[in-house]
Amino acid sequence: MAVYLLKRLLLAVPTLFGASIIIFLLIHIAPGDPVRVMLGPMDDPALRAKIVHQLGLDLPLHEQYLRWLGKAVQGDFGISVTIQRGSPVLELLAQRYSVTLELAFLSTIIALLIAVPAGITSALRQNRLSDHIARIVAMVGVSVPNFFLGIMLILIIGVSLHQPWATGGFVPLSKGLSENLIRMLLPAIALGTAYSAIIMRMLRSSMLDIMSQDYVRTARAMGIGWRSIVRQDIVKNALIPVTTVMGNSIGYLLGGSIITETIFRLPGMGRLIIIGVDRRDYPVIQGVVLSIVLIRIIVNLSVDILYSVIDPRIRYGAEGE
Amino acid sequence: MGTPDASTSEQSDLSTSVMAPTTEKKHRGLLQEIWHNFKKNRLSLAGGIIVMIAVALAVFAPVLSPHDPVKQFRDPPGQHSPLPPLSRSEEGALFLLGSDKFGRDILSRALYGCRTLLQLATGSITIALALGLLMGGVAGYRKGSWVDELIMRVVDVMLSFPTLVLAIALVGAFGIGKTDIGPITLSNMYKIAIVIAITYSPAFARVMRGVVLQEMAEDYVDAAKMSGGAGWQILTGEIFVNTIPPMIVQASLNMATTVLTSASLSFLGLGLQPPRPSLGIMLNEARDYLFGGAWWYPLVPGFFILLIILGFNLLGDGLRDSLDPRQARRTQL
Repeated sequence: MAVYLLKRLLLAVPTLFGASIIIFLLIHIAPGDPVRVMLGPMDDPALRAKIVHQLGLDLPLHEQYLRWLGKAVQGDFGISVTIQRGSPVLELLAQRYSVTLELAFLSTIIALLIAVPAGITSALRQNRLSDHIARIVAMVGVSVPNFFLGIMLILIIGVSLHQPWATGGFVPLSKGLSENLIRMLLPAIALGTAYSAIIMRMLRSSMLDIMSQDYVRTARAMGIGWRSIVRQDIVKNALIPVTTVMGNSIGYLLGGSIITETIFRLPGMGRLIIIGVDRRDYPVIQGVVLSIVLIRIIVNLSVDILYSVIDPRIRYGAEGE
Repeated sequence: MGTPDASTSEQSDLSTSVMAPTTEKKHRGLLQEIWHNFKKNRLSLAGGIIVMIAVALAVFAPVLSPHDPVKQFRDPPGQHSPLPPLSRSEEGALFLLGSDKFGRDILSRALYGCRTLLQLATGSITIALALGLLMGGVAGYRKGSWVDELIMRVVDVMLSFPTLVLAIALVGAFGIGKTDIGPITLSNMYKIAIVIAITYSPAFARVMRGVVLQEMAEDYVDAAKMSGGAGWQILTGEIFVNTIPPMIVQASLNMATTVLTSASLSFLGLGLQPPRPSLGIMLNEARDYLFGGAWWYPLVPGFFILLIILGFNLLGDGLRDSLDPRQARRTQL
């Protein structure tokens, strides 16, 4: 177990390292002087010198990278240049991530609430009407862009039904849990719908896979009730691959929250990166992207490890290599 | 006299009729095999039809559009844009599906929007495919070498970024709008196509490497090597041809997400720029008019995007099932 864990960790390090090089280079890919690009009309010599120094742009490229990486490892993601000049990027990230993570969490709950019953019903009633309907709805669910769904939710519930909570905007948790949750409901549905369709399809196909296995037939032959087989064996085992798919979908949730936050005017990190791109605030863009990649790698690693705990075959397979 | 002849001819007839299906099956190429499985699946056929309709709308947008997509019509007295479906401008132009905030015809803009969206997605996927073929081809052919190791590391790293996030980061690096790279000015459309292509190329590279490895195990590669062909000749001449069918399938599997990424970038204001008709931009603009009750404004472009993605998803699902008949039996409707 320890060997496997170490192996997975060691594999993640070079990936993270490589990603940090790409993210560092973002500021240098664009042709022209990054400081002029960032400051635009605000460009003046004193400010320019300060920013060049802050970003270490006067150093050779490899030294710049090492300095940037060394600071990033210590949690110093630099200083915002145009959005909120002088504020540490980490501070901006901390303020904004609470919103994004809450959105991601609520979307996952909504996705599971829809996907688990729908997936189980669909698999157990394979090729009956309810299965066909569930699968067609899931197909449409996967295909509907979350920005279209979000706008239609605002239009139908917020505008046509005159529900003030359904028109977007954010209420911080400190102003009351219920007020906060009701504002987050539609964004979570907009983000969670496609996610639920992904989970439902995976659950259905992995249940069908298990239902065709010999041990299920043996259990039935032994006279064990179908309901208890479904509950004890099929659903439990089918949820294992579903967990992996969910872990891999963290990228979808973080990417999707950029759009969802834009539609519903939520002050999360998705909004932050869009403003960052708009105002050419390179340290902010770098900070957001680095944090997203970091979260994604950590979540994937955790899922892999969790998976190897649940299913020892994986671990032995990897160790045997 | 004629009897032995007749019996041999009868025999040969019999043998060909028995042999024919097997030889035919053996010689059926991958694409034919896929088509054979594919046409049995009704939902994916529906997807194919939806895609064909979308492509037709895009190709014939100039003919089908009732108005010029960028022409701003004047509001009739007492009314303000956006106007609801079936209303008329002061000049008397009929807006079948309503007008937008500048008094432009939404139907015409949506048709042209389909055109730009499909152009962008197809362009991106073509560039991604080319990049993937190159990276995966070289990596696979030089399996185990440092080139392979380097390329696959880069692929791993790029895959650690969520697609949309990498695309946004690249647009952030280059800036919105056209970009000058040395003496070349890259138009915004090309720039976005390249950005999206970069984000999708690692997935193609990975598949391509696998396909090349599979082909390398075939006898014909050994034969080519023994007859003294140079490495790159074998790769470009012999192996490459055989990798095309599986890569085309892979490309069509990725069309739906490429369309979604393209539309998402435009919606966020980072993709195509106004006044170019774009479904993503139309949806973004519509957000400001929701409270005025302009339901047609987001509905029309959103419906078109949904239809295109749904079409490609159904098509892709069918293709995937055709590749894996075991799976197909299970998921067929």
